[in-house]
Amino acid sequence: MIVEGEFTFQGPREMVWNLLQDPEVLAKALPGAKTLTKTAEDRFDGAMQVGVGPVTAGAFSVTVVLKDQVAPERFSMQVDGKGGIGFTRGTASVELRAAEGGDTLMKYRADLQIGGKIAGVGQRVLDSASRAMTKQGLEAVNRELQSRLTGAAPAPARSRTRYWAAAALALVALTIALCGGPWR
Amino acid sequence: MIGRSPPRNEDAALLTGRALFVDDVHLEGMLHVAFLRSDHAHARLIAVDASSARGRPGVVAVYTAVDLGDYWQPGPLLVPPPPIPGLTFHAATQVPLVKDKARHAGEPIAMVVAENRYLAEDALEHIVVDLEPLDAVVDLEAALAPGAPVIHQQLGSNLAAHVVQHKGDYRQARAQADRVIARRFRYDRGAAAAIENRGLVTHWDARAGELTVWDTTQAPIPLRNGLARMLGLLESQVRVIAPFVGGGFGPKIMMFYPEEVLLPWAAMRLRRPLKWIEDRQENFYATSQEREQIHDAELAVTKDGRILGVRDIFLHDTGAYDTYGLTIPINSQCTLLGPYQVANYDSEFKVVFTNKPIVTPVRGAGRQHGVFVMERLLDIAARELKLDPVEIRRRNYLSPDAFPHDHVILFQDSAPLVYDSGNYRPALERATAAVGYDGFQAERARARAEGRRVGVGIVSYVEGTGIGPYEGARVTVEPSGEVRVATGVGTQGQGHFTTLAQVVADVLAVDAARVHVVTGDTREFHWGTGTFASRSAVVAGSACHAAALAVRDKILKLAGLLLEALPAELELAGGAVQVKSDRGRSMSFGELAVRANPLRGAVRPGTEPGLEATAYFGPDRGSTASGVHAIVVEVDPETAMVKILRYVVVHDCGRVINPVVVQGQIQGGVAQGIGNAFYEQLVWDTNGQLKNASFMDYLVPTATDVPKVETHHIETPSPLNPLGVKGVGEAGCIPTAAAFAQAVEDALSEYGLEICDIPLSPNRLFELIRAAEAAGAAGAAARQTGGAAGAAKR
Amino acid sequence: MGSEIPIAVTVNGVRHQRSVEPRLLLSDFLRHDLQLTGTHVGCEHGVCGVCTVLLDGEAVRSCLMFAVQADGGEILTVEGLATGNGDDLHPLQRAFRDAHALQCGFCTPGLLMTLVPFLREHPNPGDPEIREALSGNLCRCTGYQNIVEAVKAAARP
Repeated sequence: MIVEGEFTFQGPREMVWNLLQDPEVLAKALPGAKTLTKTAEDRFDGAMQVGVGPVTAGAFSVTVVLKDQVAPERFSMQVDGKGGIGFTRGTASVELRAAEGGDTLMKYRADLQIGGKIAGVGQRVLDSASRAMTKQGLEAVNRELQSRLTGAAPAPARSRTRYWAAAALALVALTIALCGGPWR
Repeated sequence: MIGRSPPRNEDAALLTGRALFVDDVHLEGMLHVAFLRSDHAHARLIAVDASSARGRPGVVAVYTAVDLGDYWQPGPLLVPPPPIPGLTFHAATQVPLVKDKARHAGEPIAMVVAENRYLAEDALEHIVVDLEPLDAVVDLEAALAPGAPVIHQQLGSNLAAHVVQHKGDYRQARAQADRVIARRFRYDRGAAAAIENRGLVTHWDARAGELTVWDTTQAPIPLRNGLARMLGLLESQVRVIAPFVGGGFGPKIMMFYPEEVLLPWAAMRLRRPLKWIEDRQENFYATSQEREQIHDAELAVTKDGRILGVRDIFLHDTGAYDTYGLTIPINSQCTLLGPYQVANYDSEFKVVFTNKPIVTPVRGAGRQHGVFVMERLLDIAARELKLDPVEIRRRNYLSPDAFPHDHVILFQDSAPLVYDSGNYRPALERATAAVGYDGFQAERARARAEGRRVGVGIVSYVEGTGIGPYEGARVTVEPSGEVRVATGVGTQGQGHFTTLAQVVADVLAVDAARVHVVTGDTREFHWGTGTFASRSAVVAGSACHAAALAVRDKILKLAGLLLEALPAELELAGGAVQVKSDRGRSMSFGELAVRANPLRGAVRPGTEPGLEATAYFGPDRGSTASGVHAIVVEVDPETAMVKILRYVVVHDCGRVINPVVVQGQIQGGVAQGIGNAFYEQLVWDTNGQLKNASFMDYLVPTATDVPKVETHHIETPSPLNPLGVKGVGEAGCIPTAAAFAQAVEDALSEYGLEICDIPLSPNRLFELIRAAEAAGAAGAAARQTGGAAGAAKR
Repeated sequence: MGSEIPIAVTVNGVRHQRSVEPRLLLSDFLRHDLQLTGTHVGCEHGVCGVCTVLLDGEAVRSCLMFAVQADGGEILTVEGLATGNGDDLHPLQRAFRDAHALQCGFCTPGLLMTLVPFLREHPNPGDPEIREALSGNLCRCTGYQNIVEAVKAAARP
């Protein structure tokens, strides 16, 4: 299954990148993500709670291996997730481009195999849920971006590693691929 | 009693909720089973760790392949291939639990036994499985391409079988033909979708040394025999009961499903009764499926539409294993010939392993594919030759004096394909009259003037039914005067409790309601095979008939002694024997039954106690049923929705035992055929993942999709059995797709589209309509020039 | 195993008090806890309709409800349709038998329980109405026609 699309953030690319470094922001945007831990250089193991349409949410373990990182422009990754409700595996890439008027254009593309219950029973909602969740998640990030641009929120913690950013983006892509929610 | 439609004996129990289905069996101390199944269609199994699951509350046991030890064995090959010269066949049968490799999504890896199903399913999530995904084989042609991933390593390729059968000399026929019609046809995969999923309950009584298995099987006796062999028990120690079964349609005769191997074994080890009931999602992976074939076929005809020969080369998808042998593709190969005179026939097929659930017969069992190919070729030939589609069929029918007709090739039961009897023209004429075929041109024009597009389709088919090897029956007159019949076939709604009762009631001249049939319990009767291939009425019915005749002889003999009359002077009526010339001298069956089982005195040599007899019937070969389906549809080219306005079936299943039951079988078969033709398709992605594993996405026809079917009976009795009957269980669904395609094309005749793929979903029809519109004038021009364009392979 | 919740339901006129897990489906409660196995289960996702029962007079899919949701309710299952110890069939049951509206009979209980309230609200239905009413119940054997005939017969006895 190919999932691709783009999203425009109303803010500069570096700020978007930095914002995506903040796991608290992402936790709000992606309530399905429970943990994400760096277990090796460029490798992250995480836990999510995933459900699709009629498939009740189940625990989902995720491994993400990052590749070809060019901060703050792009990276790609190998995604491998499995749980009682199925699996997903494949590659995803995310690209951030400076756009007109100081905006940032995010392009994403994932080529993933989906299997098990998610594939068999969740198919009818994969597309629409995927679109809805991606939009929801990215809009939440964009809202946070707006509030920071207007100074309404504290500045992001700068001390986070770049891996958090990459891993967070991986989660974005993974959510896109898994079409995640609603998180029940 | 034969030829009438009494109320069904089984209905009271079914209507009030008293009828026992497998899931209704409740035993003290019963544990529940759930299976962990592969999410991958093709993957190497590296490791399974069930330790965490084993420690969960309520979990009694978890088994993986290694836990089975020597009990882990691939299942038996159920149907060895017929002795066709030059045939290649590679057997690869299913295994109880994945040991080295998962070969289709849903293949079981581990079995959890717990105090209830909820806890068993909870535990599944705690089994850690390490699977290394492999590239999956999904497409039939890609499966045979060089370099394709190989599913069964020991075979070296994905070729399961290669079979060639010839009749006459097709090459010469082709050379003489005025026209050769060549097309590619596809028939995609579907599910039987019985509303009751599979299931079983197993109970090992250690004190009695008896294993009891309640199973939703169509074949309880072979299941018992196989289980005894696998478990090292006497056959008499195993009792298999197929109680009421909620629809079979073929997959419930497949054996041995992994669950059928595992639950009896585990029940004996754990000394607790076990229950497993398949859920609907599992059913889409764990129960066998059918239908995927690709045919490259051609028809050689004269300019007046006479068939000179047919060539058909096809691929058949057997899924991950080929346990059921070649039954389905040989059915396709043989049934293609239909009711027609085909002097020259070249047929070749390859059976292909793919990473999809196992394929075994589903109602029709490949016959519909052959019918679809032949009927479509005739339709296209008629169009190109400017002949009426009905007329081209009429010109090619075998004549009534052509029987028995030997088609030279071998049928799936290893017997030569010989039609025992048939008379096809009357069915065609009856169908054309019933559907108003002669006036249909005017009706089509009238509808067209109103902006509606209607079309008619009329197709023919034959169906090989009632094959051997044999069935048996025991008929007993009890002291109450009630009659009991035991037979080995299972029953899944066909009405055996009534139709078999009618056969016996007819011989014994009693009311069918007084004949109590028991089927599907090996304790009651343990010789026979099962319910499949539209054979129960033919084979079990004939056995019941023979046993009833033997009981009738005993009744007459004993009554002759007691009433002091010769048997020839006696007659049976109303559950009693009477002297024809003096009806006051009579004895009831009950009284005779008591006298036949005396408490004192000796049973004389050469006689047996009781009014009971057992008999068997085994036909040399099947009896050939036939028929014509006519359909009228209205198609909306904007939405591609098809509405069925009329559906007429003229059916010849020989002598009809119960017209209402036959009508019901046909009506239900047509509904399934409509599903096959228009709605039902299992959709796989390129990794072998099923994309519509629920009734939300796999569309079984509802009451608003299925039309009223007008059924007409024509009776050409079979000479191969004493009742003259032929099978009817599958007839309704066999020609439906062909009729549907012809009618839709007719309704859209100005588009000149051709329907070569089934199912024809509204989406696919929409695409065909749009493509035809785009082809537009060019297409029209090509049709004008005819020949070359028409004969080109698509 | 989770905490259990006490519930009280009246099924076919008999009151039952039980403690059940919150996740126990009503269909499993009826079939396993009360041993009323006439209500069948076919898809567990609310499409096939074989698990239909009446809850407070309305047709519901017992596979889509938890037993705890039926607390305090009055349930009618197929076992409660016939009277006189199950021998005196309900008019709809008689019509099904007379019209050969069932084959394997697995979907029949759900159909009956769907049609009882339908006939109450549509005493004299036409074919399209009947088919519409049936369209939430799957039957794989009959092709529906005889069921339509049975409903008409039951409506006009």
